[in-house]
Amino acid sequence: MRRVFLLLALLLISHTAQAVPPIQEARLDNGLRILLMEAHQVPMVAMQLNVVAGSRFDPAGREGTAMMLASMLTDHTAKHRHEAWNRLLDQDAIKLGSDVDVDRLSLSLTVLREALEPGLDAFAEALLRPGWNRSRFASLQQDAIAAARKAREEPGVVASEASRALLFGAHPYGHRAAGTPASLQRIKLRDVQRVYDRQVRPRGAVLAVSGDITMAELLSLLRPRLQAWQGAPEKAIHAIAAPAPVAGKRKDVAMHTTQTLVQLVRLGPQRTAEDFFPVFVLNHMLGGGGFGSRLMEEVREKRGLVYGVYSYFVPLATHGPFVITLQTRADQADEAARVVRQTMQAMADGHISSRQLKATKDNLVGSFAQRMDSNRERVGLMSMIGLYGLPLDYLQQWRDRVQAVSLQDIKAEAARWLKPATWNEVRVGPAGRR
Amino acid sequence: MQRIHRWLALGLMLCASGIAQAADIHEAVFRNGVKLVVEEDHSAPVAMVQVWLKVGGRDEVPGKTGLAHVFEHMMFKGSKKLAPGEFSKRIAAMGGNDNAFTSHDFTAYFETVPADRVDEVLGMEAERFAGLRLRDEEFQKEIRVIQEERRMRTEDDPNSHMFEELSAAALRLHPYRNPVIGWMQDLQRLNIGDVRAFYRQHYVPGNVIVVVVGDVDFAHVKQTVARTFGHIRARPVPARFNPVEPEPLGPKRVEVHLPAQLPMVAMTMPVPVWQPGKNDREVAALAVATQILAGGYAARMQKELVDEQRLAFSAAAGYDPFSMGIDLWFAYGMLGPKQTPEAFETGFWKLIQHMAHQPVDEATLAAARRNMIASEVFAQDSLYLRAKEIGRMEVVGIGAAHRDDWLAAIRQVTARDVQQAVARWLKPARATTGILIPEVKS
Repeated sequence: MRRVFLLLALLLISHTAQAVPPIQEARLDNGLRILLMEAHQVPMVAMQLNVVAGSRFDPAGREGTAMMLASMLTDHTAKHRHEAWNRLLDQDAIKLGSDVDVDRLSLSLTVLREALEPGLDAFAEALLRPGWNRSRFASLQQDAIAAARKAREEPGVVASEASRALLFGAHPYGHRAAGTPASLQRIKLRDVQRVYDRQVRPRGAVLAVSGDITMAELLSLLRPRLQAWQGAPEKAIHAIAAPAPVAGKRKDVAMHTTQTLVQLVRLGPQRTAEDFFPVFVLNHMLGGGGFGSRLMEEVREKRGLVYGVYSYFVPLATHGPFVITLQTRADQADEAARVVRQTMQAMADGHISSRQLKATKDNLVGSFAQRMDSNRERVGLMSMIGLYGLPLDYLQQWRDRVQAVSLQDIKAEAARWLKPATWNEVRVGPAGRR
Repeated sequence: MQRIHRWLALGLMLCASGIAQAADIHEAVFRNGVKLVVEEDHSAPVAMVQVWLKVGGRDEVPGKTGLAHVFEHMMFKGSKKLAPGEFSKRIAAMGGNDNAFTSHDFTAYFETVPADRVDEVLGMEAERFAGLRLRDEEFQKEIRVIQEERRMRTEDDPNSHMFEELSAAALRLHPYRNPVIGWMQDLQRLNIGDVRAFYRQHYVPGNVIVVVVGDVDFAHVKQTVARTFGHIRARPVPARFNPVEPEPLGPKRVEVHLPAQLPMVAMTMPVPVWQPGKNDREVAALAVATQILAGGYAARMQKELVDEQRLAFSAAAGYDPFSMGIDLWFAYGMLGPKQTPEAFETGFWKLIQHMAHQPVDEATLAAARRNMIASEVFAQDSLYLRAKEIGRMEVVGIGAAHRDDWLAAIRQVTARDVQQAVARWLKPARATTGILIPEVKS
């Protein structure tokens, strides 16, 4: 009897498992917020710490400072020199990483369940006992300068640099986190230490964890390791001015390529915008949804002008970029740009059918489970929710909020966001075409 | 999922260095040659469906490079029951994603969908496989898309352009010498007749492996595949092109002059691939050697060539033991403004010689093995990677059932094995070296 009951319960679970696993929340005494989703099917634990120390804190002229801080934190510590540190990590297959985007610096850890304790020791040591070794700083700086120069071989990098400058000017969002060869050259070790001292603090930070562990276990392991960490950052996540809108500008950058990269940019909505979900659905329909999207249909499927054309917006503490981007043989750039603008204009004019809206929503709602079917993805989502202070039932509400977007909403958003005159254009490619 | 966990715990007890392994694999072969491989995982209500074909760039004839990849694109351009583009639209409507990839050795089509839509997806896959409509009008548009793809990935990327030249120079017979995307000169001359001939010859049921990983029941999927792919009429399976590459007779060099910011140098040489039960020890040793050179944080190329000798700002190596016939083992260095290809090459070969003559210490060897096994565990976190590993092992003829043997071989590698594998296969006289030289343009 019991067995039958169990079987039934399992069946019920697997067919109603659309329910999202809950996020558990706790706070350490130092103010650090912990978010956890348990996932016991693979014996591993993944985590990501987000602190408010992104590239927006780079001093003017020294762009790349936060990224250098991220490199330094995982390179060595006060207790272990570079070489010994690397051997220590390899010995237990500890994957320790760091990364920077505009708003945040992140430190991440992926370990086998059996190596969780040495993994957490390393994680805490990297975070709390930076080594500030001068000769390692000099090497990392030199390597970063060469990498930044190498990156200039990529049209996408050149375009992103130009777009950010055009859109944000001197605003803290106006540069790439990787910096430029010239800006990296000017960075001093004390610049890096200053960002660490001012911004790498537990209050306002979030540690997101997913994997084979419970909250009780996690807290008992974290408390002794992180209790020495104290304080609040000088600037909190939302302490940033909105950039001024820019429209109708054009910037061409010459590059010896066979294709021209065409990028349309304007400011997009911030992470906490009231109309986040309607704009999110709008973007998916425009060019965020791959083959189902209108730009892909018009530019690739109907005309064969490109391999890909995509749109996305980057929702940050304040307005981030909204981008449409494509690459096409240089002599087709005008035609491709024209088709993109026509597609945007048609949507802004309200040419959106209820059938299209339904198809877009069906795709988003149906694929929601895929957005969080690995530890890595769950950690990414939770650390974002924690950093921007979104409600903890954000994931539970997600599908309902997508479903709630009406045809009227989407037309209003299209009129607000997609008028071609409110956008700017960057082109990267062979010179002399215009 | 309960079962995976127990299995893993058992593995951990058996082997002190830690071990990965996944759930059981279920297999079935149908009368027309179609093979099905299923791995159940009920942890989330999603499933990954992948259809693998034993057809890839290696099966093209001279002058028709790129055809296997062109064909992959045409699979989305309409069948008897579906209009062009409709396949993807239907997958999207069920909340799924679909795409495909082509390599020298295989073509694979995959969909991630809610688990309760797997039957429908398998039906659609079998329908387009058997009833593709190859219209010239669609081909004419798609070949332009593919030329744009080549411009983006190769023509306008000096590093990948250099690797294309390097592979072409390194091999004389083996099809890894041609780019999967095809030479632009060939892409400009392909026509719909080529595509139709390729379809008739290669898209036969005996070349199909259906892989499903996720929240499904094997017995049920087996019935569905019997009803769909299992019903396609059997046809002869063409032999695959897999020539024996002649042994290199001495070092070769190529220079590639392209618009670029900084130079790059790469070395490549043909090495053996895994044949279960025949060369496990040697191939596993070569994989461990590559891990020691370029795998962990303490990787020797990074430590010695980048951090200590400052010969490059980034350096790495790569080896794929699951290739077909041979693999092109490679290493490269990205050079900064004051770093020269000659110094990097000298440093690299000194390091290789050291590995051939000095046994690696036990701690380094243990760390290499442990990291290789740990990455297998981390890969279990992704349905996509799990299905891909199964499909790859099937399609090159190794067989997914041999997954555990690979880890066992890794575990048995000794310091002496590493030395021997390096000494035998990684030698300047067997290598082709390529140098990307930035071209100065106004």
